[in-house]
Amino acid sequence: MANYFNTLPLREQLAQLAKCRFMSMSEFDDGVDALKGKKIVVIGCGAQGLNQGLNLRDSGLDVSYTLRAAAIAEKRQSWKNATENGFVVGTYEELIPTADVVLNLTPDKQHTPVVKTVMPLMKQGACLSYSHGFNIVEEGMQIREDLTVIMVAPKCPGSEVRAEYVRGFGVPTLIAVHEDNDPKGEGLALAKAYAVGTGGHKAGVLMSSFIAEVKSDLMGEQTILCGMLQTGSILCFDKMIEEGIDAGYASRLIQYGWETVTEALKYGGVTNMLDRLSNPAKIKAFDLSEELKVIMRPLYNKHQDDIISGHFSQTMMEDWANDDKNLLGWRAETAETNFEKTPAGDVEISEQEFFDNGILMVAMVKAGVELAFETMTAAGIVAESAYYESLHETPLIANTIARKKLYEMNATISDTAEYGCYLYNHACLPLLADFMKDIKTDVIGKGLSTDDNGVDNARLIEVNAALRSHPVEAIGTVLRGHMADMKKIV
Amino acid sequence: MDNAIRLEKVTVNFDDRFALSEIDWTIEKNQHWVITGTNGSGKSALAAVLAGVGDIESGEVSGLPSHVGLVSFEAQAELIAKELKKDDADIMDVISLGTPVHEMIFDNCQDPKLAQELVEKFGLTPLLNRAFRKLSTGETRKVMLIRALSSKPNLLILDEPFDGLDAATLTMLQEHLISIVDTVPMVLVLNRFDEMPDFITHVAYMDKSALESKKTPKNRSEKAAIESGKLALTVDKNNEQAFHELYQLLHIKTTDLSVPEADPTNKLPELDPSQPLVKLKQATIKYGDTVIVDKLDWTIEQGQHWQLSGPNGSGKTCVLSLITGDHPQCYTNDIFVFGFQRGNGESIWQIKQFIGYVSTALQWEYRVSTSCRNVIISGFFDSIGMYSKSSDKQKAIADQWLELLGMKDRANQPFNKLSYGDQRLLLIARAMVKHPPLLILDEPCLGLDDMNRQLVLALIEKICEGQETTVLYVNHHAEDQIKGIENYLGLVKNS
Repeated sequence: MANYFNTLPLREQLAQLAKCRFMSMSEFDDGVDALKGKKIVVIGCGAQGLNQGLNLRDSGLDVSYTLRAAAIAEKRQSWKNATENGFVVGTYEELIPTADVVLNLTPDKQHTPVVKTVMPLMKQGACLSYSHGFNIVEEGMQIREDLTVIMVAPKCPGSEVRAEYVRGFGVPTLIAVHEDNDPKGEGLALAKAYAVGTGGHKAGVLMSSFIAEVKSDLMGEQTILCGMLQTGSILCFDKMIEEGIDAGYASRLIQYGWETVTEALKYGGVTNMLDRLSNPAKIKAFDLSEELKVIMRPLYNKHQDDIISGHFSQTMMEDWANDDKNLLGWRAETAETNFEKTPAGDVEISEQEFFDNGILMVAMVKAGVELAFETMTAAGIVAESAYYESLHETPLIANTIARKKLYEMNATISDTAEYGCYLYNHACLPLLADFMKDIKTDVIGKGLSTDDNGVDNARLIEVNAALRSHPVEAIGTVLRGHMADMKKIV
Repeated sequence: MDNAIRLEKVTVNFDDRFALSEIDWTIEKNQHWVITGTNGSGKSALAAVLAGVGDIESGEVSGLPSHVGLVSFEAQAELIAKELKKDDADIMDVISLGTPVHEMIFDNCQDPKLAQELVEKFGLTPLLNRAFRKLSTGETRKVMLIRALSSKPNLLILDEPFDGLDAATLTMLQEHLISIVDTVPMVLVLNRFDEMPDFITHVAYMDKSALESKKTPKNRSEKAAIESGKLALTVDKNNEQAFHELYQLLHIKTTDLSVPEADPTNKLPELDPSQPLVKLKQATIKYGDTVIVDKLDWTIEQGQHWQLSGPNGSGKTCVLSLITGDHPQCYTNDIFVFGFQRGNGESIWQIKQFIGYVSTALQWEYRVSTSCRNVIISGFFDSIGMYSKSSDKQKAIADQWLELLGMKDRANQPFNKLSYGDQRLLLIARAMVKHPPLLILDEPCLGLDDMNRQLVLALIEKICEGQETTVLYVNHHAEDQIKGIENYLGLVKNS
């Protein structure tokens, strides 16, 4: 199988990368009609599989689950998930031939064997749906010509997909049609109905392409989302210990700090996150982030280049074929970092203190978000995609760190994200070694001394203008505006 | 008055027409009380007990003042009746003019100077020579007030003193009461909180008693139906939270509880009246080998109010979630709801449109930051939080509910900042707002204090009286009953 993206002419590559459009509510007026009466069979019953299935069934659709024979025979967790929720469960052989729509909600790594197994069983003219385009774009999976291939990807964890639906809302969702596999021209109608069935249309749907989804998703997850937070955690923690900060305090500041500062990011972008700092601290964070951006830009470029060229997925797939040697080795290393091994101390840190004593963390988030966004858009990915795959998802990952630190974060995210995260981390740690030498507790651990809150007016105006005029802020304001209109709650 | 007035477990009978049951009440010196409560709950009766009226059947009364100044409609009626009797008793062929006003006021007067002053203030001077029984109601009231105020009482009981007074007199009376705050303790009976003078320190809240049939001795079985009241609670006015809640309670109890209308533009599909709302056949819920609900048959006809009881873990909430569609196993059971046989392509929102629902789980899930008004409006959309534009009509209806709950001033406040009880009240309004064909109240009073509990029960009773909504009320305790509910289903725990 050849990398699909690389088989396309440049003009087509650019056209596909640039696809991303925020759809209007009126485009979903037909509701779930396109799927009504059709038999939907879900492969895999993990968090996404189960929760999407629950939503689709509650929207009046016919949903059943297919699992490998062994999972059924051994009554594995996936089998329990499906049966306790009252779904029909059957083997591939039993259910796939009856399906009008097959939802492949297995982990990326299993896509090739799963799709190869189910494709011959699928009936003529049926639809195969993905929630991630890796298999099509990077692995170059060829799908039978009579089958329609779509993607529907809710941009939240499975539990959230369900919780929002039950509230009467949904989560932002990305949809795409694989144009090489749309023989009846019904791909878009099916994808829209699927998005309605999961409630996604209420929270906003982005019409994208398989290629834009893959190339932006990979970039976001390995750099700012997971990689930057992992590297930042390790560096900030070790620095604080080196400077004599209490280990319990340092551990707590990092573990919960990302979540707290990115909460501000979620509501009001980089600008709001920086606005939470005092004026001198804001200028400090801005200067640090400018420095970080200069040091890290080549690394972000390399990641994006390797993703676009297919080098990244190729090396990762080689590791898959090599029994995950690298991945498992790196995962074990993560468990051994000092930050991971030091439990958060039983100290109270107020919400504001996370900002005041975590200036460097704020600077790292700003640098990572802006670099990821700039690199993606420079590679031809449109701002909407770049925003969702960088700034929008950062708080979600920060939340998993708050819950259980780095090891758990890596266990929770996809294998592709985890692999990319380690790659980034290994390159970024030495890259920032010199930078970290000059770092003191005023920017991580203790905060600036508060004797003088004065700043130079001209400099403050410059910094504020720079923050507010960054392109990620412009698109963020538009997209968060859409969200706020739709979701009064936030 | 040096000693406190104490009523300990006092049951009082008023000529078998009314009874007060087991009153526990202490009035310390320097306290000024308002007695308030629902109509017919015995507010005036309680005040009259302090003046020595009624037969004490049981309990201890101590510290009653020797001289009580009492103004009430009852006392007023009594005086008038006495006057009329005088007329009847006149054997001479002379038309009796009745007792003139000056006699009524100044004979046996303890403080003529004050009486004179009040006569002038109240504008009664021109009426001094007129016969008392010829006076208008308002004028009679003034005479009564002057008599009581100038009698140097050691307890002043004013039962609805402000009713029937013109604005000027009202102001004068209130000013006078303020001037004597330090000299005599006062007990006022008031129906409306907004009439309560500032000097009041405590509030006694009366409610109809539901205990009369149990409490009536067996040899008086024919009197089992005596109307009775009880002292439901007392509140120190300094306790702002409790006072506010009492205000809400009184508001809802004394408002002529009318449930705001449904949204006329938001019509539900018609239900076939010949079909049941709900029909569960052999409903079973199990997790693995653990059976929570075992082969339950249950039919709820339209207009048939039900109470569902059972201990913890007996599957009450599970059964309800089969009806609401929140339980995933509703797709593996034989369930007919609102014309839909479940699992045939209907969406969960088509089911939920017929249901108003409140439960502890809902309150827990309602963790979104939205305004109080929006929480009520979200009942039109069956959503947690607001994701659609609401109409002006819906906003107006929500405001009527807020008014009904005594929470009008909180319309724009964030829901999640409210007390648990206030949140619960709003969620109950949310459940009722669209006048759902089926209203499911899963332990609605859980966690509510007495006052809020009574308020909610009153609302449920009101809904039960109506035609459009069938009520399904769930409670741990089968004895906690609601008027109008006549069907019971008790679940037992599967071991």
